[in-house]
Amino acid sequence: MTTVTPAPGAVAPPASGPMRGSAGTLVRYGLRSHRWAFAGVAFLGFVSPYSAAASYVAATGTAALRASFGRQTVSLGPQLAYLVPLPIRPDTVAGYTWWKGLTWLTLVFAVWALAAATGLVRNEEERGLVETWVTQPLSRVRLLLSRSAAFSAAALAAVIITGLGTAAGLADGKASVGFAALAGQGAALLGVTLACFGIGLAAAQLASTRRSALTLGGAVMIVLYILDALARVNPGLGGVAAISPFHLADITTAVVPGGRFDGGATIALFAIAAVLIGLAALAFQRRDLMASLLRRRSAATPVVRTPSDNPLLRIPVLSSLWEQRIGMAGWVVGSILGAAFVVSIAHSTGKLLASASGFQSFVHAAGTDSAATAVVSSVWLGIAALILAAFAIAQTSRWAGDDAGGRLEMEIAQPVPRWRIVAERGLTLAVAAVIMAALGSLLTGAVAPSQGVHLDAGSLITASALLVLLALTFAALGALIIAAFPRVAVPLLAVVAVAGFYIPLFVPLFKWPGWVLDLSLFHLYGTPLTTGVFWTGLWVMVAIVVVGFGGAMAAMRVCEVGR
Amino acid sequence: MAVAVRTEGLSKDYGESRGLFDLGLEVSAGEVFGYLGPNGSGKTTTIRLLMDMIRPTRGRAEIFGVDCHADPVAVKRMVGYLPGETPQWGGLRGKDIVGYVAGLRGGVDPARVRSLTDRLDLDLGRRYREYSSGNKRKLGLVLAFMHPSRLLVLDEPTNGLDPLIQQEFYRLVEEAGAEGTTVFLSSHVLSEVERACQRVGILRRGRLVQVAGLDELHHLRYHSLEADFAGEVPAAAVRAVAGVEGVSVEDHHLSCTVHGGFGPLLQVLGREQVLNLVTHEPTLEDVFLAYFRDPAGPAPVPAEGAR
Repeated sequence: MTTVTPAPGAVAPPASGPMRGSAGTLVRYGLRSHRWAFAGVAFLGFVSPYSAAASYVAATGTAALRASFGRQTVSLGPQLAYLVPLPIRPDTVAGYTWWKGLTWLTLVFAVWALAAATGLVRNEEERGLVETWVTQPLSRVRLLLSRSAAFSAAALAAVIITGLGTAAGLADGKASVGFAALAGQGAALLGVTLACFGIGLAAAQLASTRRSALTLGGAVMIVLYILDALARVNPGLGGVAAISPFHLADITTAVVPGGRFDGGATIALFAIAAVLIGLAALAFQRRDLMASLLRRRSAATPVVRTPSDNPLLRIPVLSSLWEQRIGMAGWVVGSILGAAFVVSIAHSTGKLLASASGFQSFVHAAGTDSAATAVVSSVWLGIAALILAAFAIAQTSRWAGDDAGGRLEMEIAQPVPRWRIVAERGLTLAVAAVIMAALGSLLTGAVAPSQGVHLDAGSLITASALLVLLALTFAALGALIIAAFPRVAVPLLAVVAVAGFYIPLFVPLFKWPGWVLDLSLFHLYGTPLTTGVFWTGLWVMVAIVVVGFGGAMAAMRVCEVGR
Repeated sequence: MAVAVRTEGLSKDYGESRGLFDLGLEVSAGEVFGYLGPNGSGKTTTIRLLMDMIRPTRGRAEIFGVDCHADPVAVKRMVGYLPGETPQWGGLRGKDIVGYVAGLRGGVDPARVRSLTDRLDLDLGRRYREYSSGNKRKLGLVLAFMHPSRLLVLDEPTNGLDPLIQQEFYRLVEEAGAEGTTVFLSSHVLSEVERACQRVGILRRGRLVQVAGLDELHHLRYHSLEADFAGEVPAAAVRAVAGVEGVSVEDHHLSCTVHGGFGPLLQVLGREQVLNLVTHEPTLEDVFLAYFRDPAGPAPVPAEGAR
């Protein structure tokens, strides 16, 4: 008998014969597809409660300070009730951590769930992946359930990491929280996440594209969130608001001293998720691929044989803007609504801040004596900066998609220099950012006087112009990263944005050296409405824009397309 | 005659013997040139080098005397291009895509677009994502043919087209050739090249193994022969004939393949009583498969005809 010894490095054949197909393969694929978003959400999940606890401990050294700070936060709470739940026991580190660090995470998890659900249905259908899945010997119901299981596992892991961040923050603050309380709070967060995932899955069955699924699911979630917000300021609406997963999640306040875990509400959240996922699976089984469940017979339309005579398509930059007009309108409306909301509460919130000693540091940090101006400067312009950074990241994602989807190849095949493609991308983003910043600031400038807030017009224009520069800075980094690492451009930019958001909070908290502040693009933006232009920041941003887009143009000139 | 496409030692080395190696090729102006090879042989790599999508490891390429890498914009002014893979245009309508690309390029006559969409039966009013794969390919053809060009570079153009539209495509290529446009058409479908091209280059594992006119290529063909004998098959004598291969005998039936002329074999067969004699001329497809099925392959003819 001869024994055959495999050559070193040879791959041994599988001992169990042919590879076995199973839904487990799809679960693993699903987990892999969620990895980047999971990393981002989990990071925020850990950092947000931890930093809230740490900043609370740093700001309130004595029991008297905590009591005073708690009273002032309670009085501030109703001003923000449309955004986050009313604070409970903010005179304790656990109460403040729940209010400041955990409640807004519900929205983050919900948006992640919506994006994941619509993506795994519509995005994968548009890419032809679902067609591959359903041609395997696996039922559609099992397919959808296995992908749902993958997301549930990822969500559970993110919730656990959030719990760890909460526990670590509270432990540093010398506050204790029991495992049961953490588990209860986590269950509520997981429940609302899965319920929103169910909303996204259901919306994806009713829409025929990812964008329309996102729009439909997002609209439903906004309505449910507003319902919850209305119930916060008008408790009489609590009964109606019970249909909102956000309301059901808000009821659980287990980590707050004296808070409660509402088992019924939490079970209801999981029940909503189960029903919606089940309905989505049934709908998926009934509908055609690449089509909505409610498919309409297409109306007879005349055949078109000639190219569009839209002159905008023939003008660089305007053609890109026209192509994105619907999405762009969404970003602009979001900016305007954000400005309107902040300005509408600036006066009353400013009065509260001015009367509360605990918030004087916030007013001084904004570089002004007017608390209302501080609200506009720090809150509105802070939100606007985040919106424009998110817009720049979304545009970067679009550019990476163009490159991967073959569109860049088609553009390069035309007689246009390669650098023009990068320049056009940058200019398109700049024009869009100008529109968003200008309309938001116009509304701010117009409404502020009626709220008793007097803003300097020149400073407002400067602040708006710098918002455009900030967006261009993010975009320039994105364009440069795409040239070298297109697949990781969006995650890397997201890291830059999140780090930029937290660095100004962490530097004083953890006594990091001052230069670390300059690593935050938001710090480089400064507080132009109140303290004027931060010239160092401005020049650094200009340098990033020049180097970023210049480098991207040079890289585009030599890069290989379509390999 | 002017040279439309010229490459000298053009190479793109992706490592592990993948890529394109030392391609020397000349395509004359006004010629319809077929570029054949199996998947992964380097056809698309060649086209992407010509279009300056990727950069050569060594060597150079010119289109109408213009270096593809040094002045790609000038090259693309002369070229109509159909990529091998259909780009993703998302929710844009066909008419918007044509309008957008026409805006990038300039010089597009809407009447020409109308003529093309009529002939290819393409509705530009529908969204790209609603197009079938065939309609996506038709849109690609419209984008390639819609402007005046001196060279058409078409990467596997009939993929996904139904036979009727394929015929219309061949007519478009013929018309382009008649108008003096050079066509560089890659394909792995020999019948397509037979139908449309005047000269063919065969690529294998990144190397050009043959360039020939269709007539010359036919000389490479072999014939399969079957014969029924009244008596015993003279198998040993048949095997001894030069150019005869694959001899198989079953009872009184002989089958074999014959390379070159039939004379010597017919002399052998003439000594016996042959009841039935059938020969089959292989299609170009069979010739092509003979080149690429066997890893060793028949001894490739040096690509002297490349120039």
